[in-house]
Order: sequence, then structure tokens, then C-alpha cells
Amino acid sequence: MNWAIISLGNRFRGDDGIGPLVLDKLRERFGRALDCIENGGDMTQLLEDWRERHVCVVDAVVLPGRAAGDIIRLDGLADPPLETVRTTSSHGLDLAEAIELGRALGALPLRMDIYAICGENFATGAALTADVAAAAGRVARSIAETLVQQTGGPFCTSNP
Amino acid sequence: MAKSKTIKVDYLARVEGEGALYIRYDDGGVQDVKLKIFEPPRFFEAFMRGRDYLEAPDITARICGICPVAYQMSAVHAMENALALQPPPELRALRRLIYCGEWIESHVLHIYMLHAPDFLGYPSAVAMAKDHPKIVQDGLQIKKAGNALVRLLGGREVHPINVRVGGFYRVPAPPELEALREQLAEARTLAEETVRWTASLPFPKFERAAADQYEFVALSHPREYPMNEGRIVSTRGLDIDPGEFEQHFREEHVSYSHALHSVLAARGAYMVGPMARYNLNSDRLSARVLQLADDIGFPPFCANPFQSIVVRSLEVLHAFDEALRIIDGYRQPESPYTSCEVRASTGCAATEAPRGLLYHRYGIDDAGKITAARIVPPTSQNQKTIESDLRLMLPQFMHLPEDELRNRCEQAIRNYDPCISCSTHFLRMHLEQGAGELCR
Repeated sequence: MNWAIISLGNRFRGDDGIGPLVLDKLRERFGRALDCIENGGDMTQLLEDWRERHVCVVDAVVLPGRAAGDIIRLDGLADPPLETVRTTSSHGLDLAEAIELGRALGALPLRMDIYAICGENFATGAALTADVAAAAGRVARSIAETLVQQTGGPFCTSNP
Repeated sequence: MAKSKTIKVDYLARVEGEGALYIRYDDGGVQDVKLKIFEPPRFFEAFMRGRDYLEAPDITARICGICPVAYQMSAVHAMENALALQPPPELRALRRLIYCGEWIESHVLHIYMLHAPDFLGYPSAVAMAKDHPKIVQDGLQIKKAGNALVRLLGGREVHPINVRVGGFYRVPAPPELEALREQLAEARTLAEETVRWTASLPFPKFERAAADQYEFVALSHPREYPMNEGRIVSTRGLDIDPGEFEQHFREEHVSYSHALHSVLAARGAYMVGPMARYNLNSDRLSARVLQLADDIGFPPFCANPFQSIVVRSLEVLHAFDEALRIIDGYRQPESPYTSCEVRASTGCAATEAPRGLLYHRYGIDDAGKITAARIVPPTSQNQKTIESDLRLMLPQFMHLPEDELRNRCEQAIRNYDPCISCSTHFLRMHLEQGAGELCR
């Protein structure tokens, strides 16, 4: 199976950097064996990046009633989309619209696991909130387990 | 008491600028138009002070996720102006090539994802894609080619990291560029179809009266369609070196906007961007682009801002022709960059961002630390003209139903592809009753 892990968000805007941090952790573990794609805001690029692949998408969200660091896992092809609040630069689309656009164009991935991590501070230049940063390890472990379950060999490394 | 109506758009965008629209009008005409940019100041000019001059292109690139190359280009040219540094022609060509990539990326995003739905009656590109998937797929394919150019030369397609004062950190080997040629040629074919398609869209009729004609302002270069270099010229006779910019252009603060309004000191509002470039330089487009413009009957001077989508599509096609020309003639530079001794100095430059003229000025000290920075982006330069467009257009469109009138106002703003209105399909407009005034 052809897997890619895609992060959305901006490293320099507080909790919006959670996706890239998860990617960093996965790169540490799997190195070049795993295709990790950092998307800084070009949602149309997603349609190319996930075409005919299995993907995990990691993004920050703001959800009323949820605490910073809460992790919501969704089936991107089946579950209704979360209302995300983006603070990064873009000119038009968010993840939900990218999925809808992919559906209209027949350009959806074969499988899409979405990890939405609740953030609270998206200020430019701010560090990740401690609870959000702590969630990165949990998300990375969950993705790693999925990869090992689904693919076996290539991702069965002895790295911690 | 006169019937007064108010158009309020509370939230114009989620991105580089956050803005709103307020229009008050009555049977006697338009009484007030305000394009309100309420995004907090970002202080880029302030926090660049004390940073090394080599950091300017990477820091300013962060101003915009759609046109970072423009910020990098204006920054490096300004620094090189300060240091009297002249990169060789091979590096100059590569800069023009990465700018071609950005024009393609940025213009195509606007044409297909933001502006076209206005003309076809869709609330968004996603809705348009359901009925016209081939059109949107073509747009994405064209954009992908622009992304590939920026990725190769800039290291990545968003916020590239390979541009530096004096040139690049790394330059491609000829085979790397040749590998892009087929993709660019295929995308060029789609770009040509895009020109024909945009020209067929139904355009609202709008022409300014003689007394209200636009003053178009753009770079002009004697031998090429302007991107990185040239004099600043206008349709009313302005013809200055970029070093004279601040003698002729003035920025003003208005109480309702966090973005400074830029005006020509002598005459006020002016327009920058694709229409200005085209109207002042159309004869320097590639021969194939000129032939196509002639074939479709598109004039060499365009004064209807709703037709800016056609001009953008012509510029996309030109960017492909230019990119292919540069790739075919590419010779790898001996060194990826040139350098020199740093000294205390001041330099400025203007380049043509996708949305128009982008001016930078920097002061640096003997150690190469930035002591002063000034940036005048195209969107701030167009603000007054956007407002005057709305003021002049509205009387022509007042007969429209409320929803259509709102859409027409938003479309008029999108004619300029301003960063502040990039997601205006999410806008809400409502008519509200003023004190003692009757509202619909």
C-alpha cells in the first residue's frame, strides 16, 4: 500500500504547528521509508498529494467544548467534516472543501484518516501550547500503529 | 427622509488581510464606501530592523503564502541596489523563471478558484467543479506546472527557501530544467484554452466616464514584459526610476483601515496589477500571446475591470512562453550567487507581483544589519481604486435584487485579486436600518 502522511498548518503560528511536529516525530522513526508531506496552506495541492494513495492528514482545529490537546480521529471519506478554524495563509479552500472538491473531481485518496488536534493559541511566533505539543507523540504513535497494522514490513522498524 | 440602504460585509477574508465592506447609498447615489481592513498590523518592517540583510528575502516571503517570490524578488533587488551588486544574466534569467512560476500559480488560483465562479453563478469553485469538473481539473493541472517551477528553483512551492541576495543558494543543472519542459508545454496548451474560455465569460458592462478614468501604474522595460526590472510608468505620463517612488507616491492612514492607502501625490488613486501591466506593456507579450489576443478580439487596452480575468489568463500564457524560452536558452551559472563587501547603504526596488507593483526600500549598516525597511504592497495601492470602483459602479447595478447586488460588489472587489478578499465567497451581507432611515 502506498501511504503518505500530510500535515496542514504553519510551524510559526502557535498550535497550528502541531501537524508539522507530528511529521517530525514520524520522520525520526521511519526516515525516508515514509512519505511525509508538509502542506503550508495550498489545499489544491492535496488533490495531487493524495491521489490514489492511503493518507493520514494531521491538522489543528478549534472546537467549542474541547480542551487543548484533545485528539479527534475521523474517517475523512465517510465522516462529516469538522468545522476547522484556519489561521494560515490560503486563498480559498480548507480541508473540508478540498475533500468536497476531490469528490467532485474524482480525486479522493483511497483511504483518509484525519487526526484533528484541538488548539487554542494560533498567534504568529507563539510556541505550541504544552497540552497540544504533548498530543503530538500520541498522534505519531497512533499513526505508526496504523501503518504497521496495514503494511507490515516496511514500517516494522526497531526504532523507538 | 431619503431611503437609505447599507451594504455591510462583516468579514472579507481569512488570510493576508482581514477586511470588511461598508456601502451606504440612497436614491440620490452612493454616500459612503469603505473597504475596511481590520487585520492587526503585522510589523514586518519593524521587526526586520537589526536582522542581517541576507535574511530579508526569507523574512519578507512570509508576508504572503501566495506570492512569496514577489517579496523575495523585491527584497533581493533592493539589497543589490544598496550594494551595487549585479548578478550575471544567467541568474537574472533564473529569477525571471521563478517569477513565471509564481505568476502561473497565483493567477490560476484566482482565475479558477476565486473569480470564475462569479461569472458562472456559483457560490464557490467547489460548487462549480460539480458541474464543470473538466474546467477545474484543467486549472489544477496548469497550477501544478507553476508549482513545479517554484519547487525546483525555490526548494518548495510555498515560501521558497532558495532565493538569496546575489542569486540563489543552489541553481539547477540543465537536465533538471529540461525535465520540466514537457509538463510546461502540456500546461501551456491548457493555458491557451483558458484564455479562450475566460474571454467567453459574460462580463458586466462597466466603463468609467472620461473624468474618472483609471491611472494605470506598472513597471515598463524596453525589451520584455515587466517582472523584475524597469521604470515605473503610468498612463498619465509618470516615468520614473524606482528610486524616485517615494517622491511621487504617498501613503495615507485612514481611520477605518489598518492598511495604509497609497496615492499618487499629484493625482490620487491609481491602479496596479495585471490590467496596468497589460495596458502599458501589451506589445511586449510573446508573439503567440499577441496572436491569440488578436484571434479572440481582445483589445490591447482593457478598461473594464471585470475583464481582468482575461488579462490574467493572457499573462499566464505569457509566463509559459517566457519559461520555455528561458529553459531552452539556459546556461548554468558558474556560481549560484554573487557577493560583495557589505557597507552602510540604502537601496530600493520595485518588481511586479502577480497583483501589481511591489516596492521595497532598506537601509543597512556597515555590519549588514537592517536599519530601516519600507514595503508598499500592491493591495494597499489598489484600495482607493477599489472603493472608487464600487462608488461608480453601484448606480449602474442598483436595480439588481439584493443578493445579486451583494455578489456584484464582491465580484468587483475580486477583480483586483486583493489578498484581503481571497475568500469572499464566505461573505455575509445584510441590509440594516440606520437611525430613522427606512431600509429594505
